[in-house]
Amino acid sequence: MKQEISALMDGELFEDQADALLDKLKRHPEAQQDWENYHLIGDALRQPDHICRSFEASFHERLQAEPTIIAPYNRTSQRIRNFALSAAASVMALALVAWLSLQVGNEPAPQLATVQQNTISSVRPASSQADDYLAAHQEFSPSADVRGAASYIHAVSGR
Amino acid sequence: MRQSKYLIFAILAQLVVSPAFADPAPVDEMAWLQTMALAARQTDYSGVFVYQSGGHVEMSRITHVFDQNGEHERLEGIGGGKRELFRDNDQVWFYSDGRKVRVEKRQIKRAFPALLPEQLTTLRENYLVTRVEEDEVAGYHARAVVFMPRDNLRYVRKMWAHNDTGLLLKAVVLDDRGYIIEQYAFMQLIVGSAIDRKWIVPDHSSAAGIAQDTQAPPPPKVELLEESSGWQVDALPPGFKKILEMRRPFRGNKEPVIHMVFSDGLSGISVFIEKVREESYIHSGLSGQGAAHVYNRLSGQHLVTVVGEVPSRTVIQVGDSVRYAGQ
Repeated sequence: MKQEISALMDGELFEDQADALLDKLKRHPEAQQDWENYHLIGDALRQPDHICRSFEASFHERLQAEPTIIAPYNRTSQRIRNFALSAAASVMALALVAWLSLQVGNEPAPQLATVQQNTISSVRPASSQADDYLAAHQEFSPSADVRGAASYIHAVSGR
Repeated sequence: MRQSKYLIFAILAQLVVSPAFADPAPVDEMAWLQTMALAARQTDYSGVFVYQSGGHVEMSRITHVFDQNGEHERLEGIGGGKRELFRDNDQVWFYSDGRKVRVEKRQIKRAFPALLPEQLTTLRENYLVTRVEEDEVAGYHARAVVFMPRDNLRYVRKMWAHNDTGLLLKAVVLDDRGYIIEQYAFMQLIVGSAIDRKWIVPDHSSAAGIAQDTQAPPPPKVELLEESSGWQVDALPPGFKKILEMRRPFRGNKEPVIHMVFSDGLSGISVFIEKVREESYIHSGLSGQGAAHVYNRLSGQHLVTVVGEVPSRTVIQVGDSVRYAGQ
């Protein structure tokens, strides 16, 4: 299974194989976890500044917290549907932008009025938070022993 | 007779050739690692070193002096805003544009060197240690040692140390595919006594400076735990041993945070466990800085954070295996 997942990610499966595997993924949560982990590792190898663990779950959660847009049904339903769709799209885009803005920078991020705070469980600026843990870890890490003062280099860099 | 002649020849050859040879004597390399750890503390030196990771490059000027009072160190960032750091043994002062911005004191004295004999044994079990060709770094003869892990849960490390003193001159961390994760090297260096010491007793450690510091609330206490807190890490890579477990104040948390430190002799992994505060946003995910990765995950009402100079797959594996096994 794991090999198949990896092959699927690399685009090495035929269409019918891929369909069968995706079907399996839907049924097996543990395989889905593998799928997520592989993507996470892939992301990590590409070394961006920050990688989010359960993006889908948190996005879903936040989307749930968005107000539902209710459009009355009438004859011009097609037009309204289009409007509703584009509105939904822009709400999603807004949520995405807000989410992204929470991922970067140390500034307290602006809150979207439509999002209830207590439903968010996955956002905090990465850099300053991670730095605290890194510094606390460094104090006891064996790699600091041979490096000496160089362990402090991030403290004096103009970052 | 013929045989003993051969033996004598072999011994002679060993004596003559061995310093420049890739010899498979790991015990010697382990002793060398101890020497390096000692040299980082006891050598007087001054120089400029460069750190590079991905597209990120930093340069610093460093001066280190060891005397009867212990270690004194000064680190200046080159480029960008002027940032400076002074260290007297366990006390560190941070300056930005000439203003003191932060003072830190290490509360737990580390046993030094931190590599214990049993850790050297585990090191040999988890890494293949070989000496490679001699090289020159910043004008000094260097002896290079490679630590090749026996699994893909840790990084490859290559270290160049000054032949005479053991001071680390250059270090490279590589992943299992041979890509450089981070490296650090002296570009210019003076080793020995001809080092400017005038900065050693500047105002930062004067009575006035310290009096000013004491107006800040006293640093909260770190409490070392003799017994386990009940939290357990099931999937540490082989060879990682717990060296410390403590309850420490952290980032203004009301409740202290549990901090466990594991080491395989070369790399460290820290596991932090804290109660989730309702008002705080928990950021779960993975981030990194050079060879170090940070991974966090919610476990019920607790936030588990794993930090280590290990590949991302390792911090994820460790983080996902943390569980509470106490009452």
